[in-house]
Amino acid sequence: MNLAPATAFRKDINLRLKDFFLTMQEFFLFSLRAFLTIPKIKRYWRDFLDQATICGTDSIPIVLVSAISIGSLLAIEVGNLLEDFGAKTMLGRSTSISVIRELGPLLMGLMLSARFGARNGAELGAMQISEQIDALRAFGTDPVAKLVMPRLIAALVMFLPLTALSDYAGLHSAAYMAEHYHRLDPGMFWNAVYPRLAPKDFVVGFVKAPVFAIIITLVSSFNGFSARGGTAGVGRSTIKGIVVSSGLVLVANFYVSKIVLENM
Amino acid sequence: MIELRNVSLKYGDREILNNISLTIADNSIKAILGPSGVGKSTILKLMLGLIKPNSGQVIIDGTDITKLKETELYPIRRKMGMVFQGNALFDSMTIDQNLGFFLRENLNLSEKEIESRVTEQIQFAGLEGYEDKLPESLSGGMRKRVAIGRALIFRPHMILFDEPTAGLDPVSSKKILTLISTLKKSNNLGAVIVTHIIDDVFNVADHVAVLYQGKMIFDDVVSKLHESTHPFILSILSDKILEL
Repeated sequence: MNLAPATAFRKDINLRLKDFFLTMQEFFLFSLRAFLTIPKIKRYWRDFLDQATICGTDSIPIVLVSAISIGSLLAIEVGNLLEDFGAKTMLGRSTSISVIRELGPLLMGLMLSARFGARNGAELGAMQISEQIDALRAFGTDPVAKLVMPRLIAALVMFLPLTALSDYAGLHSAAYMAEHYHRLDPGMFWNAVYPRLAPKDFVVGFVKAPVFAIIITLVSSFNGFSARGGTAGVGRSTIKGIVVSSGLVLVANFYVSKIVLENM
Repeated sequence: MIELRNVSLKYGDREILNNISLTIADNSIKAILGPSGVGKSTILKLMLGLIKPNSGQVIIDGTDITKLKETELYPIRRKMGMVFQGNALFDSMTIDQNLGFFLRENLNLSEKEIESRVTEQIQFAGLEGYEDKLPESLSGGMRKRVAIGRALIFRPHMILFDEPTAGLDPVSSKKILTLISTLKKSNNLGAVIVTHIIDDVFNVADHVAVLYQGKMIFDDVVSKLHESTHPFILSILSDKILEL
């Protein structure tokens, strides 16, 4: 019996596992370095401001578009469903919980994973390929402090107001659809929203912002720093950064909701 | 002085360097010659501590840098200036920002002193009038001169050149080689030049080390290269340019 294919398969699995754990170890050390360099923020405040503009101000349009479209759709679909049960007055309650707890922060996270994460991966990947990151190290500058830490702080600072904006736009578009599509009085909609929202609803939503900021920045930057193999390599590392950070945002969204709701 | 003692390096199963020993004295120009992909640039990265060997020592002015942490390496790296093969200039910065960047980052100098050093390098590289241009708007030779200026701005003891004339036209290549010779004569600087072009070695180097299949097959003054009987050296002396 020929055992060669089985042996080759086992060897391949071993190599992949070894590669995976080595990458995880490198990612952990990279993340640790990014956090340990936070005290240097004063030196890199201009880089922080640049990144805050890129991930904050410049991201407002995409966050608004996604929040308005999902808020409107949610109001239409949920309103249709509630109408069957004669409970259309609960539309404000159901849409506000969905938007504030889940959809507002999740959509913001996914949009920024695509926008901010892609930019990080491509920019840092191009710098890696053209030896600019090696040049920083060669002349005595810590590339993680210069390039990653300001991105991390900017995301931590800017993701919170973006989440608030996403919630606000989502809720108001839902209110607009409730009034103009379902012919629901705005007073009835907002009366079902405000008195019933509990602090834990806001905690669930807003705790996600810093979690997503850390995931998106570190995963995309790490993939940029790991880029190899010319322009194709930059493309690969950028895609990998977006796919992995989007997947982790979805997983983190579930676990943050579960942990906060079970403990509050 | 830079010294490599019995350095070996592997990437996965692939052996890049096998028991390499090399010494570069201050104020001398040493060329490292070899075919493409043989590990010449890797030697420069080892000298800067950008990568660590699997075994052996890399000694810079008496300190074995293979044992040092990244932060401990920064002051040692500043003793050497590095000119990367693709120049590695920051493409979003102007020429004077590129030149002054590392001074602002790493040295506690006044803005006046920084500007003075930047102007000095602009003049040395013959780039007056290009201070506010982005690197992409310069020719290959000009970009190389900016990269040399950036390496010189820390006033290092030694400059490391990775393929300084690769991709340049003959006139620009000659200008760069003249610049390297001038650095030794006027600034008393040592240099390590990694190249696969044998004419560069005869034009500027005092000593040459030849790297072939991961091993050092020759390490002596340039004039003795003709006395070697190694088939690879004989082939490069006859063909001049390494095509392997």
